[in-house]
Amino acid sequence: MRSHFAHLAIYSGIISTFFSVLTRRDRREQLRFGGLVWLAMAGGVLVLAYLMLPFPR
Amino acid sequence: MTETHPGSGGAVAEVSPGRLALALVVGWLVPGAGHAVLGRFRRAALFFVLIMGSFGLGLAHDGRLALYSPREGFLTGLQLVANLGVGPADVFARMSVYGEAAYAVPDQSSSLYRARIEKFRDRQRSAVSAYGTAYLWSAGLMNLLLLMDIWDIAKRRKD
Repeated sequence: MRSHFAHLAIYSGIISTFFSVLTRRDRREQLRFGGLVWLAMAGGVLVLAYLMLPFPR
Repeated sequence: MTETHPGSGGAVAEVSPGRLALALVVGWLVPGAGHAVLGRFRRAALFFVLIMGSFGLGLAHDGRLALYSPREGFLTGLQLVANLGVGPADVFARMSVYGEAAYAVPDQSSSLYRARIEKFRDRQRSAVSAYGTAYLWSAGLMNLLLLMDIWDIAKRRKD
């Protein structure tokens, strides 16, 4: 699989699920925290990508 | 995921030093199993799926199985720690990739040198190797974090 976005989504999913279960006990809290971490990772990368758009290699 | 633990009655049960040691060893051998030893079965199953899933994705995407090199001892040492965190699965992965449980760059005069370095570079040259390496190293580091979590649970710092 070579899709950068698919890897971003899967990797963020693994990491956010892991840390939400590791650090939160209540299921609602886990969903909230996991969702926030996923959004921060995936969204952060997309924002950075757009910021770098005007500066090609 | 809220779990209840047998015999806890709301409070976290005492964990003996022997059981703690067993949980740590088993937890390193099989990701998640340490939590199962402490009675956290659902968490154990989920951690196993996440870590072995990440490890499998890493191997499938030509993730780097680091080799220790004295020339870059600190960095390659850290990479080895990340790889080894996942337990014996790392040994099996190396046996399938390198043909043996190889952990170091052989001496240049050794007959093994060229073959091992070529296999390492073949994986590194793969277009998806960077993804695979992130999955592989994350799997190992997540398992090391689980060992610290086991310690915290046993010391009643968390449930």
